[in-house]
Amino acid sequence: MTSFAALALLLFGVLIARLWFLQVIGGGEYQERAEANRLRTVITEAPRGAITDRNGKALVTSREVLNLVAEPQQVGGARSTAALRRLSVALDHPPGFFAAKVRKAQEARPFEPVVLEEETGPELQAYVEERASQLPGISLRAAYVRDYPQGSTAAHLLGYTGPIPAEQAEQYADRGYVGNETVGRAGIEAQYEQYLRGIDGREQVEVDARGEVVGRGVLSRAPAQPGETLRLSIDLKVQKALEAALREEVRGSGVSTGAAGVALDPRTGAVLALASYPTFDPDVFQSGTPREVRRVLTAAGRPLLDRAIAGEYPAASTFKAITAAAALESGLYTPGESINSPGSVTLYKTLFRGFNNLDHGIINLVTALEVSSDTFFYELADRSFRRQGWPFQDWSRKFGLGRPTGLDLTEGESAGLVPDLAYKRRTCDRATDPINCSWRPGDSVNMSIGQGNVLVTPIQMAVAYAAIANGGTIVTPTLGRAVVDQDGRVLRDLVSARASRPLGLKKENADIIRQGLRRAANGNGGTATPVFGALPRSAQVAGKTGTAENPSGIDHAWYVGYAPADAPEIVVAVVVERGGQGANAAAPAVCRAMSAYLGFGAARCGTGAKAN
Amino acid sequence: MATLPGQVPASPARARAQSALAGIDWWLLGAALAVSGFGVYVVKVATEGDVPGDPGYFFTRQVAYALIGLVALFFVLRLDLDRLSRYVWTLYAILVASVGVVLVLGSSARGSTRWIEFGPIRLQPSELGKVVIAFVIAVVVVERIKSMDSARLSLLVAGVTALPAGIVFLQPDLGTALVYAAIALAVLWVAGQPITHFILFGTVLVGAAVLVLYLLPALGVNVLQPYQVDRLTSFVDSGADRSATGYQLEQSKVAIGSGGAFGKGPSGATQTINDFLPEHHTDFIFAVVAEMFGFLGAGLLIAVYLIIIWRAIVIMREAATELERLLAAGITAMFAFEVFVNIGMNVGIMPITGIPLPFMSYGGSHTLTNLVAVGVLLGIARRARLPGPRGA
Repeated sequence: MTSFAALALLLFGVLIARLWFLQVIGGGEYQERAEANRLRTVITEAPRGAITDRNGKALVTSREVLNLVAEPQQVGGARSTAALRRLSVALDHPPGFFAAKVRKAQEARPFEPVVLEEETGPELQAYVEERASQLPGISLRAAYVRDYPQGSTAAHLLGYTGPIPAEQAEQYADRGYVGNETVGRAGIEAQYEQYLRGIDGREQVEVDARGEVVGRGVLSRAPAQPGETLRLSIDLKVQKALEAALREEVRGSGVSTGAAGVALDPRTGAVLALASYPTFDPDVFQSGTPREVRRVLTAAGRPLLDRAIAGEYPAASTFKAITAAAALESGLYTPGESINSPGSVTLYKTLFRGFNNLDHGIINLVTALEVSSDTFFYELADRSFRRQGWPFQDWSRKFGLGRPTGLDLTEGESAGLVPDLAYKRRTCDRATDPINCSWRPGDSVNMSIGQGNVLVTPIQMAVAYAAIANGGTIVTPTLGRAVVDQDGRVLRDLVSARASRPLGLKKENADIIRQGLRRAANGNGGTATPVFGALPRSAQVAGKTGTAENPSGIDHAWYVGYAPADAPEIVVAVVVERGGQGANAAAPAVCRAMSAYLGFGAARCGTGAKAN
Repeated sequence: MATLPGQVPASPARARAQSALAGIDWWLLGAALAVSGFGVYVVKVATEGDVPGDPGYFFTRQVAYALIGLVALFFVLRLDLDRLSRYVWTLYAILVASVGVVLVLGSSARGSTRWIEFGPIRLQPSELGKVVIAFVIAVVVVERIKSMDSARLSLLVAGVTALPAGIVFLQPDLGTALVYAAIALAVLWVAGQPITHFILFGTVLVGAAVLVLYLLPALGVNVLQPYQVDRLTSFVDSGADRSATGYQLEQSKVAIGSGGAFGKGPSGATQTINDFLPEHHTDFIFAVVAEMFGFLGAGLLIAVYLIIIWRAIVIMREAATELERLLAAGITAMFAFEVFVNIGMNVGIMPITGIPLPFMSYGGSHTLTNLVAVGVLLGIARRARLPGPRGA
């Protein structure tokens, strides 16, 4: 009978020991697990900030949608499995579709809600609401997607959003991202991510075993902070006009592979339009099928390439303004001097032809710019070659060629190329063509008319001509203008911090070049007079055509110009790949962009006809 | 209830009351009532949010059950066990028939049923059967211990126990079947059966468990439902068990562990109140106590159970007749076994077998049975202590 008592004492002693182990030794750990059971952090997505043009017109906005979401803690049981199966069938998926989706997402992020279906339609919303009690752990949750009210307009500069790429997860984590956010992946969306991103709201609530909020309810709350609105310097009407013009030039030509254009305010560097064709629909990266995304990524016309800042082309005759500046500033040419400019010249036993072998007679620099004489500039090249120093290279760099302009799209801008002796030495083939490892007279001749190895981007030419237009200041082009709040109050000025630097071009020399450019667009012999000659005085254009030799086919057409010529407010650079002569393909597009900005009718723009 | 032994009665009514309470084992009655009262309180605070719109649903019912049980306790206290032993086979037949009816009804209904319904009253015959089987076995042993060969007696008792226990097991209610077995073994042990019989019984039980849980399933014969196998084996490693049982056991351990040394109080016991701990008013009510009142409260509760078992052993020793001694042994074993296995499964060292915690777990038949058993023990004690004719 004492064995009974002894057994009871032993067994109850075991229970007490076990209790001690669980409660006193393991208490802290189990308290944490009890807290984890009862506390749930509910994340409310914050909308991303909008992007507007300079006048507040929406370019990108955030639109609220309802996603179908499964709570991971609640989709384990048999009831939920059945619910997921029913949902899969109801949405015409294979029966195991959602269960597999949940399982896969759970492996990557065990405690986060799993999005079953994005952007649910009203039918599905009604289905879920009616059957809420039969779908434990499954609910509709507000989320935001990017909306593009202007369609594909400005797609290149706006960029697009997407999930954080796996290879950058750590960098984003350092900046306070959880990892499941949608972030700017290209263009302005990526550049100004810090302002556009919203801070998701967090609520800590107490829940019961069914996941329902109970008793004490919300324990702590940090409301969602919407992203700030970004105002760009873009002028939507100029952007649209430029894009339409480029599209028509490319489609109309039948052989053109693409086009690009830039419009700047030469006084400030504010980018009024930045366009590239072919373009793409930014919504594809958000809601397109993998196949549609792949099509954009691999299309033959390279629609993702922003030709306005990354396209490198020979500058052709538009470069003559820079040659002129170099010649004037380094004393190669004396103002007023006239030079014989025949159809072709022989220098160093080599025949150099001018465009169409046109003989312009004995002319000065202003006329040479007006009629775009090649042989005039060959003479300047010859003089340059005979002297010490590298005025063409020096002035190319002063004008900002050979390196990115510093536009606030830091990823994607190309440097272009200013050829020099080092370049020649780096690229020549010593074995078969050793003589090409030196700077040769022909190099100077080709460079003087923007050919040879000179490569520029449209935005570089716009900045260079802006300096001529504004009297000698190299501006830094800017897209971002201000961060504003909902009421349009400026929270942060993005322009004032932008650097500019003096070009160092003497006023009298700048005047000569400006006169030449004005005559090139308005004079009797002006290459672009057929396009611009009929414009009102208040919108008079000064600028330069270019026809870039294209080793792989038809010439690229260039035009760079500014207006009004007396007090420039806009400078536009356009290149049309395989567009032929600049006056024919590029100048009309420039005219249309200017008409949109300055308000004269586009009908006053001519269609072009004359030479390079 | 304020009348204490030795007080002078001042009126005839008082005299009757005193005679009714004379010879009462106050330790046992006090401990049983204390735990029952505490049980009612814990059921109240644990279930306030369980039935929408009726926070007192389980509480009021458990109060009623306890009061009915108390009445039954004082009725049983005065029962003449010797006279009752004449009807032992009638009692046995009623037991077997009632659990049999439940089995038949249960198999026609879906899954398991443990109840017989009489209008609004639902009776779980296997619960009261615990006291009945203890009485039947005690009578069987007392009447044959001298005349029958010990091996044959053990076999007879095994057979008498196995019939109702087998039916209860098939209901399926493994826990109660095991309580029957524990009662039978305790009675045989106290009756002085040879130790070899217990070794043999132990071997057979373990062998049966291995056969049912591991060998037969390996051969493709499943005696138990999968959930039953889960329940029996999940305590080995509940963390790896994603079944409902594994969840149950994990939540029980979290509830108990998070109670810490001094508990989180009735309003802070979120495992219970927020329903993370299922069955918190029935089989897992101990986890509720541990969560709300910590190691201190849970340890005190275990100490009170020890008092009950201590008094039960004392009463068994004092018993005036061999029948009462064996019956007390069976009931002592019932309490000790149920308390140990229930708390053991709450803390994760015993398989989950569906055994309620005496005096604490919600349930009418269960509460009634425990208080009836206390009444039987109190009667045994009283008859041993009071002079005069038996059954006074």
